[in-house]
Amino acid sequence: MRSEILYPGAFPMVRVELAAGEQIKAESGAMVGASPTIDVESKMEGGFLGALSRKLLTGEKFFFQTLRASRGPGEVLLAPTVPGEIVVLELDGVNEYMVQKDGFLAGADTVSIESKMQSFTRGLMGGEGFFILKIGGKGTLILNSFGAIHRIDLKPDQEYIVDNSHMVAWSATTSYNIERASSGWVASFTSGEGFVCRFRGPGVVYIQSRNPGGFGAWIRQFIPVSE
Amino acid sequence: MSSSPNALCFGYELPASGAPCLVRFGGQGLTVTFVSESPVGWSEEVPFTALSVSVGGLDHDQLVLKWTGDRGERALYLKDADLIRSFRRSAPESLHAPFEQAAERARLVRRRRRMVWGVVAGAILVLSAGLWRGGDLLVALAVERIPPEWEQKLGESAYRDFLARQDIVKEGPAVSAVQEMTRRLVEQIPNNPYKFEVTVVKSDVVNAFALPGGYIVVFTGLMKKATAAEEVAGVLSHELNHVLQRHGLERIVKRLGLVAAASIVFGDQQGLAGLMKQFGVELMTLKFGREQETEADLTGLQLLYRAKIDPSGMISFFERLSEKDEGRMEWLSTHPMSQGRAERLKAELAAMPKLSPVPFTFEWAAVRESLGVPLPAEP
Repeated sequence: MRSEILYPGAFPMVRVELAAGEQIKAESGAMVGASPTIDVESKMEGGFLGALSRKLLTGEKFFFQTLRASRGPGEVLLAPTVPGEIVVLELDGVNEYMVQKDGFLAGADTVSIESKMQSFTRGLMGGEGFFILKIGGKGTLILNSFGAIHRIDLKPDQEYIVDNSHMVAWSATTSYNIERASSGWVASFTSGEGFVCRFRGPGVVYIQSRNPGGFGAWIRQFIPVSE
Repeated sequence: MSSSPNALCFGYELPASGAPCLVRFGGQGLTVTFVSESPVGWSEEVPFTALSVSVGGLDHDQLVLKWTGDRGERALYLKDADLIRSFRRSAPESLHAPFEQAAERARLVRRRRRMVWGVVAGAILVLSAGLWRGGDLLVALAVERIPPEWEQKLGESAYRDFLARQDIVKEGPAVSAVQEMTRRLVEQIPNNPYKFEVTVVKSDVVNAFALPGGYIVVFTGLMKKATAAEEVAGVLSHELNHVLQRHGLERIVKRLGLVAAASIVFGDQQGLAGLMKQFGVELMTLKFGREQETEADLTGLQLLYRAKIDPSGMISFFERLSEKDEGRMEWLSTHPMSQGRAERLKAELAAMPKLSPVPFTFEWAAVRESLGVPLPAEP
């Protein structure tokens, strides 16, 4: 498969070219268009229980869609629901990424996806919920974000602090602790940051330039209240 | 040998996401062969003596080997179980202790995480159990706050509504018999806040019910079914105690939910009428719970005893009602009968001192005759 990001920026779309017989999995509802040679199937990744746990636990979609070039080569257009950038990663079989639940857009069929329970503190305060996706295997992985995607490279033992609602994906070789943004409880909340994640390298952290929860709170004030 | 990478190597000039590499352990040290960094196939040999061992990664589940080589600091992240085992086999004695320490740390993290989740799950369980019991407590508190006058108003409107559609027996032996029974029972209630009102309704339905506030309805069907006045008195005593224990209110408040209960406890009780309309709770369709039935049974038995009415009539009537029978036994549908109930009452009665009952002033056979039941043939 070959992928290309069209219209990079706020409203991108990704074009994936598939050779005959090749297939990819994508978040359900992500397909925008496809060649007539492509078949769309829905598939419960990891079996029924796996899909159920992913749906219940991470809030991810119950079904992934499988796009298969069953009648010859073709292309697929995919786009996320929210405005924001798309990033394409190549997994080499040893690299694994933890991805927050809305971050997955599509991946090669050889990419494995499982939901994973976080530690209690991370789940409670980390901003991504108690369950996240662990994505490994080999092949192309396509992630999307809310806003622009920014990549932070961390050398061994190098640290970086990220607001907890801005995380998209991070290497499994990094680790992070949740801590208050300021030393005092009051200052932590009045500064508007609350909790932050202190990442420690080595590895890569992808963050998004907008906070979905913050955006939701902002837009709520403009929604007329019906009687 | 396969050349697919089995570890990630980090270093100053290597990519931040780690360079995939192939690690092999030998007798003296390890060999790292880079798979994708140029020049591809570049290898580094590291003696065991240069290595330091630790754990790393998000879940502390990766083995980290660090050393300082010609190109600065290097860190190798291993998560493949076979590879970690192979390291353990070939590593010299000096690395065993640090390796065990690292493994212990990884286990500790896992154990701690499991324990935290266990504690959280336990706390959730305890909390929900507490809410369950606390809910009952809140209901009891809410019921306590509702004044009897208001309860009376509520019951009265339902009572008048019901009677308006019924054929009432206004006078006669049946009415005076029921009134006598009620008077004798009510006299024995200390600090009675209710003004009990009993109406006999002409209907073949075998039933009797009590509304909050002290409004009691007895159907002639039930009276015809009873072979002795004590049996009807037993049912009456049971119904009176539903009122006294405020079972109807408890059910209403429970049906309305905790929020309503809380608003009654902490706010105004007058809102309950509105709430009831809103939730469509109909007083007439309220059923009592098993615990409430047992409570009304036992307190009913005690009341009969105090009124010097033979309680065995109540028990035998319950038993007869629970046997399979023809007719519309509606009292059973709102007061589900079970063998255990009668048994329990029998045991309770046996524990009480012997009672010398005071008979009623009326003849039950005459009362029944007035309802259309022929007098039993003299033997």
